[in-house]
Amino acid sequence: MAETLRRVLNSGGAAGPGEENTAEAEPPLLLLGGHGSGKTALLFAAALEAAGEGRGPVLFLTRRPLQSLPRRIGAALEPLRLQIRFQYPPSTRELLRLLCSAHETRGPAPSLLLLDGLEEYLTEDPGSQETAYLAALLLDTAAHFSHRVGSGRGCGLIVALQTQEEGDSATAPQLALLQRYFPAQCWLQPDAPGPGQHCLRACLEPGGLGARAEWRVTFRQDGEMTVTPWPTQAGDTSLHKGSSSGGQP
Amino acid sequence: MRCFISFMFLQESLLEPSVPDEHLLSLKFVFGSSAVQALDLVDRQSVTLISSPSGRRVYQVLGSSGRTYVCLASCHYCSCPAFAFSVLRKGDSLLCKHLLAVYLSQVMRTCQQLSVSDKQLTDVLLMEKTQEAS
Repeated sequence: MAETLRRVLNSGGAAGPGEENTAEAEPPLLLLGGHGSGKTALLFAAALEAAGEGRGPVLFLTRRPLQSLPRRIGAALEPLRLQIRFQYPPSTRELLRLLCSAHETRGPAPSLLLLDGLEEYLTEDPGSQETAYLAALLLDTAAHFSHRVGSGRGCGLIVALQTQEEGDSATAPQLALLQRYFPAQCWLQPDAPGPGQHCLRACLEPGGLGARAEWRVTFRQDGEMTVTPWPTQAGDTSLHKGSSSGGQP
Repeated sequence: MRCFISFMFLQESLLEPSVPDEHLLSLKFVFGSSAVQALDLVDRQSVTLISSPSGRRVYQVLGSSGRTYVCLASCHYCSCPAFAFSVLRKGDSLLCKHLLAVYLSQVMRTCQQLSVSDKQLTDVLLMEKTQEAS
């Protein structure tokens, strides 16, 4: 789902139809960042983007209901929100059961599968096999939805994982393992905040299928999110709407 | 009588009755001792493709110990301990013999097929979790 995320970030955070739909399935993407780094907001933006494409509902999995739906700039989004189906598996076992039984439900297959807070399902000190099993089942579920969607991009998969600020030796091998199943990654890092703002640097590594790109994501106090391409000149803090998003060579 | 196959030459040799020894050597070079064990599993019809009316599929492989292991059809995962150890943890193998057997079966298009209900497929996918725990 690197391309979907790229479209969200390139369009400045606004949902809605934009560029040409790519014809091929996109690789699963891992969204990484510390606590409060905007992963949930970005996931929700991707959900709205996919809902706007009208290819099918969006399945949003998270352990606890979102306290408040992240605010978005753009037109009335109520019809799009209705296309987003939330489910709240309370435990790892319930999440596994949900994924293993995903083929039992009929109706239109989701065009996008999102999981927020993967770390909450990996807290029971899982070994490699359990972590791999969960990652592999996420991929398998998305693959099944893709099969049901039929031609075109199928069902995308974005999973958000909270990372520790310091390098935690216990989570590093787990992350390496997850990266084997998720070839594309987007890292969110805190940036120097402006007055009344929370700024982040989003770095997209599409796993070999596109250019690496970076954006600045800003959250205002009222929750509104704006996205601009990261300035490519060192030390240049002005915002260039039309600057290239190619990132480093 | 064994049938041999090589990934590198699969277009030409796929339907040949026998494949030259150098292809077998290539297979063993790339995949190590798993190659011979995997071919054995294929020969013994140990690989089963399980599908349900939903279209979802999963592989089940009868291991040499008599235990069955589950291999996902869409991505690289096997429930056997060797996968967890050699592939995931140590990273010195690309796959276990069960996954190699699955891929060989796909290439050779010989595989036991089993149709089950949607609920039974859920159980197959879930059952491996309890297999690990035991």
